Amino acid sequence: MSSLSDTLEHYVLLSALIFTIGGVGFLVRRNVLVQLMSIELMLNSVNLLLVAFNRVHGENMAGHMFAFFIIAVAAAEVAVGLAIVLSYYRLKATVYTDEADLLRH
Amino acid sequence: MDALEKIFPANDFALLAVIIGMPLLGAFVNGVFGKRLGKEAVRLMALGALGISFLCSLLAFALLHAAQSGGAEGSAEAARFVWHGWEWLGLSRAGEATLLNGGGAPSMLQLEVAFSIDALSGTMALIVTGIGFLIHLYSSSYMEHDAGFHRFFAYLNLFIFSMLVLILGHSLPILFVGWEGVGLCSYLLIGFWFDSEANARAGKKAFIVNRIGDFGLLVAMALLLRYTGALDWDGMASGSRGLLTEMRIWDGQFFAQYLPDSLSFLTQPRSVSVATLVGLALFLGCAGKSAQIPLYVWLPDAMAGPTPVSALIHAATMVTAGVYLVCRMAGIFTLSPAAMFVMAFAGALTAFFAATIALVQRDIKKVLAYSTVSQLGFMFLGVGVGAFTAGFFHVLTHAFFKACLFLGAGSVIHAMHARIHDTDASQDLNNMGGLKKYLKVTHLTFLVSVLAIAGLPLTSGFFSKDEILYSAFTRSVVSSSSSAFAWPAWTGGVLFSIGVTSAVMTAFYMFRLYFLAFHGEFKGWKIVAGWKEPEHAHDHHGHDHGHAHGHGVLEGPVPHESPWPMTLPLVVLATLAAFGGFLNAHPLHIIPLEHWLEPVFEASVDASRLHTSDPDGALMLPLLVPGVLAFVIGLSIAYVVYIARGGAPEKALAARYPAAYQLLFDKWRIDELYDELVVGSLEALAEASVWVDRWVVDGILARLTAMFVTAWGHLLRMFQTGHAQTYAAVMVVGLFGIGWFVAVPQPEAAVSGDAATGQYAVQAAPGLGYSYRWDSDGDGTFDSEKFGTTGQVTLTLEEGATREVHLQVKNAFGRVRSGSFEVTRPLHDASAPSADALPPGGARPRPPMLLPRARTAPGTGAVADPSGARALQPVQQPGGAQ
Repeated sequence: MSSLSDTLEHYVLLSALIFTIGGVGFLVRRNVLVQLMSIELMLNSVNLLLVAFNRVHGENMAGHMFAFFIIAVAAAEVAVGLAIVLSYYRLKATVYTDEADLLRH
Repeated sequence: MDALEKIFPANDFALLAVIIGMPLLGAFVNGVFGKRLGKEAVRLMALGALGISFLCSLLAFALLHAAQSGGAEGSAEAARFVWHGWEWLGLSRAGEATLLNGGGAPSMLQLEVAFSIDALSGTMALIVTGIGFLIHLYSSSYMEHDAGFHRFFAYLNLFIFSMLVLILGHSLPILFVGWEGVGLCSYLLIGFWFDSEANARAGKKAFIVNRIGDFGLLVAMALLLRYTGALDWDGMASGSRGLLTEMRIWDGQFFAQYLPDSLSFLTQPRSVSVATLVGLALFLGCAGKSAQIPLYVWLPDAMAGPTPVSALIHAATMVTAGVYLVCRMAGIFTLSPAAMFVMAFAGALTAFFAATIALVQRDIKKVLAYSTVSQLGFMFLGVGVGAFTAGFFHVLTHAFFKACLFLGAGSVIHAMHARIHDTDASQDLNNMGGLKKYLKVTHLTFLVSVLAIAGLPLTSGFFSKDEILYSAFTRSVVSSSSSAFAWPAWTGGVLFSIGVTSAVMTAFYMFRLYFLAFHGEFKGWKIVAGWKEPEHAHDHHGHDHGHAHGHGVLEGPVPHESPWPMTLPLVVLATLAAFGGFLNAHPLHIIPLEHWLEPVFEASVDASRLHTSDPDGALMLPLLVPGVLAFVIGLSIAYVVYIARGGAPEKALAARYPAAYQLLFDKWRIDELYDELVVGSLEALAEASVWVDRWVVDGILARLTAMFVTAWGHLLRMFQTGHAQTYAAVMVVGLFGIGWFVAVPQPEAAVSGDAATGQYAVQAAPGLGYSYRWDSDGDGTFDSEKFGTTGQVTLTLEEGATREVHLQVKNAFGRVRSGSFEVTRPLHDASAPSADALPPGGARPRPPMLLPRARTAPGTGAVADPSGARALQPVQQPGGAQ
């Protein structure tokens, strides 16, 4: 286990990388489905970080618990998000966010 | 009597509450439950309430008489019974009035709801309740078929209540309550048939014109309160000396520099006595209520109300409230010869002009209305020359004969309604004639009243009018002060001539009215509904009709006499009109009224201010001659014109001077003048306001502001793309910004201090995990090598000294940054206040101020800064991670 704590930096770096990919993906892609996937990436990068820290500071299972919690929330979020995407598609016949500017009005 | 005097002692005369309360009860019951009660109950309630009120007034009058004649013969004292209701309000008061009271501490003005009755108000209360009862009785028949029967009686009872409050109120504010109350009832009753636009307008006009007068009364009350220190009758009388104060009303100095010398009369400062101001303001109130020039225009229009209302409110009682007020305030009016002069002339001119208008009116009620205005003018002429008893006597007799005339006119209109149900046509004198055949009682009583108002010797109008004329000729109001306004010598003659001329016209127009209505042939046959006078177009038709008429063929219903509830009041009033004169028949030396009222006026009026040129009454009988001649001349002219020549001379005169005739018929076009001057200017003001509203308020204020906001909205909307991604991107940028701020330490500090003592404090801005290192003495080395938690240093400076304080801040990441601050204490220079705004020794602590982040080298503004507490420029030094 100590070997893992030595490589904690790697986990952090990997997590940061995935988070950045997710964040940039969310910002630059116009396809709602891809954006949802990007959000999943960000959530999972956080999960990875939580699990890794929990492994090092393993007095309790708070990190694991948070990870499960996030997975559950993410599932719910995807369910709601996809429902929104579906009705958005029915409304506009597209899944590209360029057209989704109702917030403006 | 003794038992009654025990039940109702003079200082707790609860009978007044009954007198005043009964009509209020009637108004309440009829107003709230009247519709469900039915006509019989409404009639019973209204008449019963007023009847009780009348009986109580009689009782109070009797008690008053007993009290007043109780003293030794010849030394009758003014008796007054007071009933104290409850405390109304208390005002703390300071000012001039206390100076008069000896410069004491500010005292309280206690206003209480109190009522009092004395000879004057007792007589007036008898008129109001007595004639009010008769008119209620009359109305119960006259208004029988009106849908608003209960409403009518509720208003009528409310009017009597308000009128009694006006008469019996023990102070001006209570009187004012009644004054407004009768105004309200007058408005309600003029517009009683409010479904007609004209009636509603007449009501509004009466109300609004009266507001102008009420303004005068309010101003007078304020002045009286300030200069006499009281508003009740006794207090005002005892404080009336204060009214002799001179008040500067025109300074003129302001204009002196702009105006040429030829206009120097404008630049002289002018003063008048407060009494004159009070008198004029009170007279404005009286002129509004009693329809005097210049506020008389509402009364003729007020005839739009039901005829009993015209008789009660607009002839017998309410419109005489102004005369009553003048009598009540006689002591204050007589302090100002100028105000009395104005009043006497306003009265005389009103009498004259209203009489000229009445000469040509065709509407029976309009003639009576202008006659009322004219007679009110006589009353003011009387009281204006200081003959208060004479003026009040005319109130009394006028109430008798004018109420009778109006009720008689109501009876005539009632009869005319047998022919036509149209307000204008049924009141048009041209449609009447020959009515004496059909209305025997009405005719007789009307004739008696006409004789009385025209001044047939020994009738009531003869005595009262001639006493006024005699007083106008002989009496005047003088002042003890030589600088005050004095009446010119010609006043008596001029007033007398105007009065006699008006009396001639009075006799003429009253007989004209009488002859046109009751003599000649009845012209009402042609005025069935829808029938038009076929004067020119359908000549043959008219001929046919005239033919039929000539043979005496009656078409449709015949005018008929009114039922007994209407004729009984007529008979009573006509009797009073015929014989009421003996209450105060000066030429015959039968003057109970004068003896009765004398104590009241003697107590309030300073006798030295009333002057008569004929103290032994030698001129009394000679001056009767013009009065009798006026009657004879007026009667003769009317007889010749309307009986002997059948009205032809009037038509001839009208044809010869159409402009003059039309001017009189249009009431001198005063209404139009007011429309132009007052209404027109108000409308112009309204137009200007509309323009301002449209272009300034709407255009500049509203539209320009809106455009400004819209422009900014457009600008800001560019940032609102509506794309969630844009928002997310902005959020990311913001997060980076906050992260950078947290990661870098911020060496900022605020300096506070006191230039007077030289104590300054430098307070570093706090931050999460910050620790500090100071160089407070400015020698370039830090006070301690280690970073500490001390966020503040204090230092003491000499005058004019400057010190640079250095600060290093380390945050939780171990990053360090430095800043330096310059603190300067300015030189204290007392001779240059602009350089040091702080008063010596009283320096205000300045609020600590967070300085802007340092970007540049230290500035040089430190010495110039007057307070010295802001003279800092943090110097940024490159800080390194440790």
